[in-house]
Amino acid sequence: MDEALAPNGNTPVMLTKPERSDTVDLSDNALQVDISDALSERDKVKFTVHTKTNIREFKKQEFSVIRQHEEFVWLHDRYEENDEYAGYIIPPAPPRPDFESSREKLQKLGEGEGSMSADEFKKMKQELEAEYLATFKKTVAVHEMFLQRLVSHPVFKNDHNLHVFLEYEQDLSVRGKNRKEKIEDFWKSFTKSTDEILLSTTQKDTDDFFEKEKHFLVAFHEHLKDATYKADKMTRAHKDVADSMLKVASQLAQLSAMDVSPLEECFQKLIDYLEKSRKLESRVSSDEDLKLSDSFRYYVHETAAAKDLLYRRMRALADYEAANKALDKSRIKHKDIQAAEYAQQKACENFQVISDKARDDLRSLKSRRIITMKKSLVDMCDLEIKHAQGHITLLKSSLSLLQEE
Amino acid sequence: MSETVEDSSGQPFSRVESDEDIFKETKEDLTSSLFKSAMSNPADKEIDLNDDESPSVSQPIAPTTAGGQEPLNQAGSEGYIKISVAEPKKVGDGMSSYLVYRVVTRTNIRFFSKQEMVVTRRFSDFLGLHTKLMEKYLHKGRIVPPAPDKNLVGTTKLVISQQVTGEANTADFVEKRRWALERYLNRTASHPILQADPDFREFLELESELPRATNTSAISGAGVLRLFNRVGETVNKMTFKMEEADSWFEEKTQQIEALDAQLRRLQSSTEALALQRKELAQTTSTFAKSAALLSTCEEHENFAKALVQLSELEEKIQGIHMEQVHADFFLLCEFLKDYIGLIGAVKDTFHERVKAYQTWQHAQGMLVKKRESAEKLDSAGRTERAGSARDDVLEWEVKVERAREEFEAISRTIKQEFDRFELSRIKDFKHAFISYLEALLESQQKLVKQWEDYAIQVKQIE
Repeated sequence: MDEALAPNGNTPVMLTKPERSDTVDLSDNALQVDISDALSERDKVKFTVHTKTNIREFKKQEFSVIRQHEEFVWLHDRYEENDEYAGYIIPPAPPRPDFESSREKLQKLGEGEGSMSADEFKKMKQELEAEYLATFKKTVAVHEMFLQRLVSHPVFKNDHNLHVFLEYEQDLSVRGKNRKEKIEDFWKSFTKSTDEILLSTTQKDTDDFFEKEKHFLVAFHEHLKDATYKADKMTRAHKDVADSMLKVASQLAQLSAMDVSPLEECFQKLIDYLEKSRKLESRVSSDEDLKLSDSFRYYVHETAAAKDLLYRRMRALADYEAANKALDKSRIKHKDIQAAEYAQQKACENFQVISDKARDDLRSLKSRRIITMKKSLVDMCDLEIKHAQGHITLLKSSLSLLQEE
Repeated sequence: MSETVEDSSGQPFSRVESDEDIFKETKEDLTSSLFKSAMSNPADKEIDLNDDESPSVSQPIAPTTAGGQEPLNQAGSEGYIKISVAEPKKVGDGMSSYLVYRVVTRTNIRFFSKQEMVVTRRFSDFLGLHTKLMEKYLHKGRIVPPAPDKNLVGTTKLVISQQVTGEANTADFVEKRRWALERYLNRTASHPILQADPDFREFLELESELPRATNTSAISGAGVLRLFNRVGETVNKMTFKMEEADSWFEEKTQQIEALDAQLRRLQSSTEALALQRKELAQTTSTFAKSAALLSTCEEHENFAKALVQLSELEEKIQGIHMEQVHADFFLLCEFLKDYIGLIGAVKDTFHERVKAYQTWQHAQGMLVKKRESAEKLDSAGRTERAGSARDDVLEWEVKVERAREEFEAISRTIKQEFDRFELSRIKDFKHAFISYLEALLESQQKLVKQWEDYAIQVKQIE
């Protein structure tokens, strides 16, 4: 997540994390963003967005502001509404930070405190805290990724709203959408999807490239969504296996406590193994989650955004054809020809612009996707191998300890 | 069941221990006598059934007994015996079909007829053996290993149709049973006294079919009777409170109860682990399929290949997970179940001791009554009646003495058996843990190999 290709095939801009050395060539137009810190308060997460730039419009060269999740969504919506960006894939907004499940589990743990031993309770608590931390890290990463996509795009990075977002020290006073606006949103998306369906059946596209893209994206998006869901289930099951090892370990501990024979040491060794192995399995599960599920999930959103782009183009095409028909009609009637001509020209231009931009963006999405997905898979392999080898070492040492006596 | 067979020295010798035998040998150490009688039986039994086989009257391995308690060695300190039970095969068809298991014994213990023996046995044979051993040894305080559960539902499922219930379930059930039978035989064989028992040896050696043990079937006259007896015993266990003079027994009873409870809890959490892992295997397989589907609509050719390979990898991983489930299940879960059953057998011996105590108390009570009535008759001057009453008193004195000795004998034996149990428990658990970790190690090594192979494939993609 520390590399993003500029969509128009320009040389990639390396975006580094704060830990790495800052020896990046800051050309005249450079803009670098990261989330240097995050604070979790009961209901919300406060991200510290840190910017480094030498774009002259900014007042300083380096600055930080505090932003909350709603403000990220606000930023995304501003891009989406902007007609100038109609030809581009709008980077998907980061998902809401979800600590619900962790919070629920923590609560359940608190309730069940009486029923388990102090040791077991402590271990489960540690486990839940680690889980909370992992979710926290994930949400930071995802918000960061969103911003980095924006700043690496040659057009997006100049957007005024983005600059405000990065620089304005006060709260952006973005209130969450009230009920009326939520209903409006819902209605909008409903009409959009019916329109989409209508267009896809009635509107013909002469351009091969876009036809193929549409077919590909629709199918791919569906399957990717499904694969992501199944990957999630798999990582969850992995987590559950790790957790049930903990239960076995604690039962063994109780058994060994009541046993005064030399069997006690034997038990202890197995208990040690189980606890360490559980940590390992847990880590495997979260790495799989990160590298596999999350990577897939990100592209589910991206392909959805790409589909949106195609829709907008279709809409523009339909408008253009409608304008054509209107022009023909007005020529026949000898009425308002100039206005119609003007409208038709505008529609034509609009459509062309969108088509061109879309073509480029979609092409870069393709290559970007393959590169990132491949990297995720490679990373996952490396991690899995590392963990499995760690596990083997653990097993060998546990075995030799057991066989010792 | 009491046939008398002549051994080489022409002395009549009962095949089955009867109370009279023990009674005759009150002076000798009971354990040594049991050993000797157990050991010298083989020759006789062989002659009976296999006329062509030359009686192998080798000197039995009897540990030198010099009176007093000596520890019951693990049988096989000089000898070696290992039994394996192979997968069952179906014999016959329809409702009258049944499964037979191939039992292979390898041993160098001399009183067995051969060093390697192969026989086929059906499940009821195992149960029949267990019943016989129980009848002979339980009331003496020997811990007789329990036979595998009779699961009527499981058997019917098997007999009627393999397809209906699903291959996986029946395969699981069959494997569970086979494993339990193997464990049962090996455990019985490792007990020095049970190992030498003629019924046990016959079970392992006799190449022809054993007579059907019909009284083991669940729905038989004998079965129902057993059920009633068991109910009666349970009531007895609950109502009779013994005055425990020996603190050892009090302590051990508590210990056994606590162990039982804890093992049950442990067993259920290991079962939960196995099931969770099974779920993991299933979700892995589901994911693999969806990855394959995804690869079909992937436009980038090489990446599509990567996805296909990912799908294949995950299917293999699913296999590895299932192997681990197998380890979780058999090496931990079923092992613990087996031990819980064994603890049940230990508790049975404790209960037998309580029954012996009851018998003794009862006899004492009767003696007192008989003495009282004898004295009454005496003082009433009815000498004739008094005479028979005196005889009664003598008879009951003898009975009391016998009951007391039996009680003490069983107490001693139980202590001995318990020590042996403790020792073998340590060994067994350690061995089980080691086997479990070894199985997991193997799985992880396979897992590493799979990921390494895939990593090479993925890195090649462009």
